[in-house]
Amino acid sequence: MSIIIDENTKTIIQGITGRNASLHTKFMLEYGTKIVGGVTPGKGGQEVAGVKVYDTVAECLSEVPDAAVSSIWVPPQFAKDAILEAIDAGIKTVVVITERIPIHDMLYVRDAAKERGVMVIGGNTPGLISPGKALVGMLPKITFRPGRIGTVARSGAITYYLANSLNLAGFGESTSVGLGGDPILGANFEDILKLFEGDSETDAVVMAGEIGGVYEELAAPYIRKMSKPVIAYITGKAAPQGKRLGHAGAIIEGDMGTAKSKIEALSSNGAYIAETLSEIPELVKKALGG
Amino acid sequence: MRLYEFEAKRLFKKHGIPVLDSVLVDENSFEELEKVTYPVVVKAQTFIGGRGKAGLIKPADNRKDAENKIKNMLGRKHGAFEIKSVLVEKKVEVEREVYIAATIDRLEHKPVLILSNKGGIDIEETARQSPDAIFKYYINPGGKVLPFFGRKCAAKLGFKGPLLNKCAGIVVKLYSLFLNLDCKLVEINPLALTKTGGIFALDAKVNLDEDAMFRHPELKELGITARHEVGELTEREKFAKSKGIPYVDLDGDIGVFPGGAGFGIAAIDLIQYYGGKPANFMDSGGAPTQEKLRAMLGLLIENPRVKAIFGARFGGISRCDDWAKALVQYVKENRPEKPMIMRMTGNMEEEGRKILEQAKRDEPELFKKIKVYSVDTPIEEVIKETIRAAAECK
Repeated sequence: MSIIIDENTKTIIQGITGRNASLHTKFMLEYGTKIVGGVTPGKGGQEVAGVKVYDTVAECLSEVPDAAVSSIWVPPQFAKDAILEAIDAGIKTVVVITERIPIHDMLYVRDAAKERGVMVIGGNTPGLISPGKALVGMLPKITFRPGRIGTVARSGAITYYLANSLNLAGFGESTSVGLGGDPILGANFEDILKLFEGDSETDAVVMAGEIGGVYEELAAPYIRKMSKPVIAYITGKAAPQGKRLGHAGAIIEGDMGTAKSKIEALSSNGAYIAETLSEIPELVKKALGG
Repeated sequence: MRLYEFEAKRLFKKHGIPVLDSVLVDENSFEELEKVTYPVVVKAQTFIGGRGKAGLIKPADNRKDAENKIKNMLGRKHGAFEIKSVLVEKKVEVEREVYIAATIDRLEHKPVLILSNKGGIDIEETARQSPDAIFKYYINPGGKVLPFFGRKCAAKLGFKGPLLNKCAGIVVKLYSLFLNLDCKLVEINPLALTKTGGIFALDAKVNLDEDAMFRHPELKELGITARHEVGELTEREKFAKSKGIPYVDLDGDIGVFPGGAGFGIAAIDLIQYYGGKPANFMDSGGAPTQEKLRAMLGLLIENPRVKAIFGARFGGISRCDDWAKALVQYVKENRPEKPMIMRMTGNMEEEGRKILEQAKRDEPELFKKIKVYSVDTPIEEVIKETIRAAAECK
């Protein structure tokens, strides 16, 4: 089954004519992802890696009406518009590779997505991969192998190290999802945990968080409700003291956002806490009774 | 990005939020004091709070008094910051103080207006001890605060008559500043009602979204550009900044040469976990150029504290062949003697490995202390070996 994408998912690429987008479109096609069209306003009629380019998402969808996923590779100043265009056209999952999208833009996008029942992943996500089936984004395929562990992480490189660590111990992934490194994200840990909980091909979930933000704490209560074990890895325990929140931030978030508060919230709700990357597969084994 | 009080007040003035008359004084501009009427309040300009308690906000009755107090403040440290300027502001008699802020509630994913009629003191303490004194109103993303809503807020703060309208106007303007300039926070604490019936923002905090500054040229006109705000920079940090490399000096002996920020943070944890001491935090960014990679290595090798280097490259959007080329070129040009224990895997790995093997064949002696592992060696093993190598150098 896998979550969000599989070998049949039709995907479009917004901003496909850009340097990174065109290279990674080629990699995605090589991996087997069904890329059915690209969009770059003003460049309709061109081709990238054999994929037809359209001026608008609507035009692209009029020819391939069953495209389910759009991946966004446009510069940050155009990201809000591009995501809203995808939502307006009826796309149900938007994977936003673009990094450093203004915060107020992402808040607006989240509202629009919620209203239309759309899942936005990112921004600043490396994408996601269901090994052996499909890859949307820029993840290096070498490290991912098909298997029954779901992973979800905020950082791109950590997504790769999780897979690497699992694979060295003989595990593989059902799907690996990068949430993205921007401060305001579309999908959060809880959204992805829910999908893994309902996925018949996932036995356990590894989530990797880091200092800053509150998404780990917000997901913690859901872990208690899950039938599948969750192994959590939180980085930033030894990080130097960073920026201090303003008064108003502290009023709302209190002491959330530290590695300590995240680990406490997760472990008190039943997550296994890994101290190192290599401990993750050991805890997966333990959690699965092996 | 946090602004200084004087910068925030310039923005307030431009956007119609009342502030007191003031001048900015640094070591070269004492003549500004000609322009003020005494008594005044001398306020050190730093990014962080707690100035009052640290003796960095002081009243002065005349010019001589002001000059002495300014001289005493300039050059002092507050937290990690050196005080380089002071704001000299008219002194007023305060009748009552309230708190108004607009910020982003990351739990709800909405902008929020926060009000309290207990302003001026430690507002976090108020939130903890008497949460009933704090009012929160959520605003839809992209939505505005309309005048009637401003009046509702002003009434909640206990204002009546003409003052209600004045305060309502400030709430509306504060929110439009927050929205239109892409702020993460705009805070007035306190907003003061003076004994003569005036209403002024006595302090001003503005935190901008750096990722949105490209669309606000007016900030540049006010001299506000992206900058480092965490504290004073070391020489290496300054150099790193000039090359566009996020870099923080730590006090250990293992140079950390990672890929992205996420693994940079994890690497510091892991080195400490296995008993080593990292010398730095660093982030190469999305797809670093070879020049940038060479500069990154230079930062580590030229640091006399650093005894060994731990490197990790997981090619995603970045390419292993670029990484290998930069490494080889750096080593050939600088002939470093410090051991480098690294791991390289991911996109374009095969090409990268060929480059390294060729270099080793060309100059085996030079590359003797450089080891580059691949995907089949756990990253922790690479870290442990680096820690051992650093210990052997002692």
